[in-house]
Amino acid sequence: MVAEISKLTKEIKHRGPDLITRPVGRRMYAKIRDKMKNISAHEVLLLDFEGIRVIDSSFIDELIVRLIIDSWKSDPIFYVKLKNISIIAEINIDSVFKSFSQYNKNEIAVITDGIRQNNSFYIGALSKVEREVIEYLRINRNTSVHDIGVFIGMNDEEVSLLSDTLFRRRLLRIYNDHISSV
Amino acid sequence: MTDKKTVLLPNKFRDPYTFEDVINLADTIVRDADCLDLSRISFIEPYSMLSFLLLGKMYLLKRGIKLKLIRIPLAIHQYLSRMDFFKTEIFETADSLNEKMMLKRSSLSKTIIEIVEIPNKERESVKVITGVIELFRKRASFILKHWFSDNLVDYFVTVISELCQNIFEHSLESGYLSMQTYSLNNEKIFRLVISDSGIGIVKSFELNKEIQFDSPAKLIEMALTTPISSKREYGYGLCQVNSIIERLNGMIYIRSDNASLSTLYNKTRSGSYIFYKNSLSPFSGTQISISLTA
Repeated sequence: MVAEISKLTKEIKHRGPDLITRPVGRRMYAKIRDKMKNISAHEVLLLDFEGIRVIDSSFIDELIVRLIIDSWKSDPIFYVKLKNISIIAEINIDSVFKSFSQYNKNEIAVITDGIRQNNSFYIGALSKVEREVIEYLRINRNTSVHDIGVFIGMNDEEVSLLSDTLFRRRLLRIYNDHISSV
Repeated sequence: MTDKKTVLLPNKFRDPYTFEDVINLADTIVRDADCLDLSRISFIEPYSMLSFLLLGKMYLLKRGIKLKLIRIPLAIHQYLSRMDFFKTEIFETADSLNEKMMLKRSSLSKTIIEIVEIPNKERESVKVITGVIELFRKRASFILKHWFSDNLVDYFVTVISELCQNIFEHSLESGYLSMQTYSLNNEKIFRLVISDSGIGIVKSFELNKEIQFDSPAKLIEMALTTPISSKREYGYGLCQVNSIIERLNGMIYIRSDNASLSTLYNKTRSGSYIFYKNSLSPFSGTQISISLTA
């Protein structure tokens, strides 16, 4: 499911290329949740920010962080992915995620459609081995625990634990015993 | 004092540090003055202008009448009119400026954002902040023409947004924003100022017992460098502003009640670049100045 943020901005009667403040974030969240009524299990919610320049920390907290937290506990399971993020939006998202992780003792990250400033396809804090898994999945979209283990030098049990953690954070998909990228 | 009820203001409107001499007079002005004599003032920059406006607001609140400004030099009168200082209706002036003498609002004078009041109510504030940012985007190529950095305008959109939201989130009072690029002593200075006369940083953290601090200036530093919040479990705003200004080698000056913090990222190579001041003269609210120099 694709949420074109630029179009939705008009629907919530906000103007300009900047999405700022908590009230605007709350309105956008309500709009997107409304559109998600019929989202299927294991579907990806792609937030496309084309045409948007700045999203500030308040907006990020009210929209992106809330959607990610929803994805962790929601039924049906869904995944959040970001597309067309500007440099400043990425910096602001990264900063919000750092604060969130520091105070909640719960790491938060999100998969992106394009390569980011960290030379990878996510924003947030991931360990080296978690990053390797995400990058492996980026190329080999569908794979098995064993194949990941061969690539990163871990046994199946260790890879299962690792992939479960990444799945709980909705950074990879586990569906019918298959692991795939978001 | 030139007489019992007229206070002669010193020519100390050049930057936040010299303006302390005017703040030192604030109590006397609010208590005793009927008029302020501005004849000695030769220059005013945005921080001093907004702080002066807050002083007038305090006077109005405490005395119930407007403070009268007299003997305003022509250039100062023109500048204050151009910045919409008198539109706030905080002060009374002895003489109004002839329309022919007013500075023209042409494209050549687009290096400023005139004084904008930021309401302390969320809904109204969002509209005003959105409007300010739209105006800033229109004028940014004039305002920031001496500075070149990728995404500079986007950085400042974030800074404006974060600082303005702090007014309605934390200060419990309305505030003001203004911005200008000007020349002083062969230096180009960009200054963004956001000031309020609200409860200030220390009071806003009073109920949060988890936050421990040695001095008010240290608390200001904590608010600037760690994601603490007086309202939520954690906050992002000031931290985000700090990291952007560090990236741009700029300067941040924050004054709240009787303390201030100066963070001079343009001086990091020369050793000390953070300066704390406690025991300043009390002045309500929080005043923030963000500067770039070229």
